[in-house]
Amino acid sequence: MIVPASKEAGYSIGDCSRDRTEQTRRKSMKVLYNWLKEFVDLTATPEDLRARLSLSGTAVEALEETVVGPMLDAELTSNRADCLGHYGIAREAAALYGLPLNPVDPRPRESSEQASTATRVQIDSPELCGRYTARVLRGVKVGPSPSWLRQRLEALGQTSINNVVDATNYVMLELGHPLHAFDMDLLDERRVVVRRARAGEKMRTLDGVERALTKEICVIADATRAVAIAGVMGGADSEIRSSSRNILLESAWFDPISIRRTSKALGLRTEASVRFERGADPEMAETASRRCAELIQQLGGGELLAGVVDVYPGRSETPVIALTRHEFLRVMGADVPDSEIEAALSGLGFAPARSDFMRGAAGSLSAMWTCRRPSWRGDVTREVDLIEEVSRIYGVDRFPARLPPAKLPAERLEYAEADDRLRDLLIGLGYQEIITIPIVDEASDALFRSMASPSPDSAARIANPLAEDASVMRSSGAVTMARTLEWNLNHGQRDVRLFEFGKKYGWRGNEPLETRVLTLGATGLAREKGIAETEREYVFADLKGDVDQIGNLAGGIVWGGPGGPEWLQPAQSGAVFLQVPHAATRPHGLIGFAGQVSRRISERFKLRQDAYIAELELDPLDAGYKAARAALRYKPISRFPAVERDFSLVLAEGARFAAVEEAIRSVGIAEISSIDAVDLFRAKNLPAGKFSMLVRVTFESHEATLTEAQLTDFSSRILAALEQKLGAALRA
Amino acid sequence: MVNDPTAKTLAELGVADASGVVRLFDGVKEQFAADVERATQWEELRNAWLGRKAGVLTRVAENWLKPAKPELKRPVGQSLNELKAYVEAALEARRAALEAAADQAALAREREDLSLPGVVRPVGSRHPLRQTFEEIERIFLSLGYSVVAGPEMEAPYYNFEALNIPEHHPARDNMDTFYMATPSGAAPLLLRTHTSPMQVRAMEQRQPPVRIIVPGKVYRRDNPDATHGFMFHQIEGLAVDTDITFCDFRGTVEYFVHQFLGPKVKTRLRPSYFPFTEPSVEVDATCVFCDGKGCPVCKQSGWIELFGAGMVDPAVYGFVNYDPKRYSGFAFGLGVERLTQLKYNINDLQLYFQNDVRFLRQFA
Repeated sequence: MIVPASKEAGYSIGDCSRDRTEQTRRKSMKVLYNWLKEFVDLTATPEDLRARLSLSGTAVEALEETVVGPMLDAELTSNRADCLGHYGIAREAAALYGLPLNPVDPRPRESSEQASTATRVQIDSPELCGRYTARVLRGVKVGPSPSWLRQRLEALGQTSINNVVDATNYVMLELGHPLHAFDMDLLDERRVVVRRARAGEKMRTLDGVERALTKEICVIADATRAVAIAGVMGGADSEIRSSSRNILLESAWFDPISIRRTSKALGLRTEASVRFERGADPEMAETASRRCAELIQQLGGGELLAGVVDVYPGRSETPVIALTRHEFLRVMGADVPDSEIEAALSGLGFAPARSDFMRGAAGSLSAMWTCRRPSWRGDVTREVDLIEEVSRIYGVDRFPARLPPAKLPAERLEYAEADDRLRDLLIGLGYQEIITIPIVDEASDALFRSMASPSPDSAARIANPLAEDASVMRSSGAVTMARTLEWNLNHGQRDVRLFEFGKKYGWRGNEPLETRVLTLGATGLAREKGIAETEREYVFADLKGDVDQIGNLAGGIVWGGPGGPEWLQPAQSGAVFLQVPHAATRPHGLIGFAGQVSRRISERFKLRQDAYIAELELDPLDAGYKAARAALRYKPISRFPAVERDFSLVLAEGARFAAVEEAIRSVGIAEISSIDAVDLFRAKNLPAGKFSMLVRVTFESHEATLTEAQLTDFSSRILAALEQKLGAALRA
Repeated sequence: MVNDPTAKTLAELGVADASGVVRLFDGVKEQFAADVERATQWEELRNAWLGRKAGVLTRVAENWLKPAKPELKRPVGQSLNELKAYVEAALEARRAALEAAADQAALAREREDLSLPGVVRPVGSRHPLRQTFEEIERIFLSLGYSVVAGPEMEAPYYNFEALNIPEHHPARDNMDTFYMATPSGAAPLLLRTHTSPMQVRAMEQRQPPVRIIVPGKVYRRDNPDATHGFMFHQIEGLAVDTDITFCDFRGTVEYFVHQFLGPKVKTRLRPSYFPFTEPSVEVDATCVFCDGKGCPVCKQSGWIELFGAGMVDPAVYGFVNYDPKRYSGFAFGLGVERLTQLKYNINDLQLYFQNDVRFLRQFA
């Protein structure tokens, strides 16, 4: 019986953020209200029961009407193996309503012959099997189950098979303990050996699949071969069929970790394995066997041999756990009356007894209860577990709210302020923030990996990806930026400016690297046509200017090259260096690259128009920001007017503005406050191999208004320097 | 003016007494009224009447007043003054009227169409998840929580063992966790499945009191759909001290929910199970879409599940060498996508990561 994957419950969206819940894989358990009433005298309505259970840890996701009465669909957390049967849920209900729980102590009719004369049980691997009980029935008439039984099973999603198999399933659903019935005549020597599977051993399970076994797997064997995968699924060769007469009824306890490993290894998750892997109740094994034998007799007649063959190597003492009021108050912060504490613990089977010297004094701060852990609550081992039990039955929602005083100053992340300033700047510049999933496909990532210097030695690959197209952690923010540009262009959004604060990932040797990066991406219009403005495409200079403004927050940047990454066009890209390198930066202050993406990238991402991407490392920008802020001082403003002079220069093709600037600076005129390039011409009337650059120099003195004579002198010295160093002339 | 009386003297006009003077001036006044009627250019009209050299009033002064007999000087002078005041006032009124008309015309011509768009300099926007991060960070900073960050590629020890999730726990299944392919010799690494590992890392680095939140990306090996992604964001919270109780946890949760979702929203705690908290709870809030009345979003229950939380399991303290008898605390894990979705009614997780600018612009 394969259990369907547990249903997603609750609110339709954002189950992704039911983080902790999903980590613990809930199990769905359908519960019939009328079945519960066989164990506890419930008077509450099913609706009320649903609410009480849900608020005490047994989430009831649905309540529906069936042919056998109201049915609750409960989602059980992985720690509550005891609630995987009606009896366990009945115990919860009894504790919640303060009602007695009827004991389960079946007394089937037994023949005089002892079971131990008919079969033998041998446990070769007690580390995997803590208890194995076998009962023997003879002359059972296998046939269809009566309708009351079929209806209950079917309401709970179980298919009726025959009365014997149905009886084992019924008892599992009733008492939470899985059982298995073998056709005893098909067991070699009619005996059972619990052992590890042998290397190369094979077995066909009930679902008809031939399974290859390993020695990690615990099997039930007869004298010669494996006949069942212990705690997971029976074998096809020994299953109960219509011709079966004699039955060996197994009720055992298997090691949860072993069952879990086996279930995983075989990809076989069954109602039985789910119960054993959560920790079944070893004491219940024998009771469930008796109950099942009684039911088989009732359904199919036959003779039950006397007694049980019970091998119990895993028997252990009942642990004693103490609960003190002192600890309860320390953890919970508010008190619960003695009577409520005792009622909750008694109802759940912990048999609390006051054991402190103040015995009998109600509400004593030194009260202590000694509790015995019932065999079905393997999850409860410590005082704090008892505190939880009391709290959830009492009602966690009943504890009052209080705000603790703060004792420490709160600190943001060290780079939070720099990030804020950068983000505000980019938003002001018209960029929209994106957040992408950094898991990408190998081929795309490889295209951006050549961004050699700041990128790590090798990519961070996922060993068990869900799909090939999501198999590696991005080596550059540019990978997902290109994808996002692609998405927007494909959806008719052609004017896009984006930024992302994220990480790039990789390995440097044996060290995993996560490097914080800021990625910019832009395409389309820098300015849209409007009544007052003309339209203009976003060009490299837009990206450069924006990157410069980012750099200005960090003390300024310089552009360098060539030697950019392959994903950028060599003619329209550059490397970005911090003007003042800091400890956090790479050699020479390189923090990233910016430019127009290469044709190869454009083709790969179907970018049908020019696109620009920049990627800058954030840690050096943060360091630069802090240093720049620390060094920031007021500079006096001149009382005298600044004067601009324009030089329309004719320069040789290839001459760079930086050279012009340097030549002008070399004159050593202290009054120069700025040098800008304000226009470029490549006009026909210029000599071949020449172009014209309009350079604007601003002069300013803090001592006096500049005179015409001074300015003329400055101009002629500048021109002389430009002519001498660059062969520049003024345009005629 | 064919027969302009002002070109002649009083004698030439045969006016010899005061009454004649008055009549004469009346005639000039009539003439002025007629001119005002005809005038299109205010400047011309003014020059014609008040011009210093050839204006009518100058001529009156030259031809009538100056040569007047002594006994007529007084009535002429008086009438002239009256006329001058009248003309000046009338001209000023005319000028104002003309200017008002011109302004009116200009206004009609130049009035801005206020329904036309202004020049909009494009401004960007924060991603909606970022806004949630910032808001949550502000709320917890105000409660004295510091922000810490940790690696996404994490050691299994921090993601599992030290959080009381031993090796055989279901969460260790391949079906939940992405593992990194590691270079030979490197320690095993996974993509953290929650931001909780930083609880342990933070406690290793400091002694109580501890109050931190940990924002960041987490990963689950889950097939993506409208409600699941293999990457999403969490904010882990942790408070540990000598005197932190479940009541403090509850107060903190309520404060957060009131700040984030509004003061009218109620919270409810339900017991749950997480390996690293004991007791564990789920925090529910009254449905923000129906104010708890019941709607399809909350499946008519009036409640929506917000996040999981609980008192730190003493076993976790064992991993960081805190004395579990001395210290207690609580931890919670907020799902950023979910909380954002509750705020803006975003019904598809994919929208967050497609980054369509039509989506992003709505959060400017």
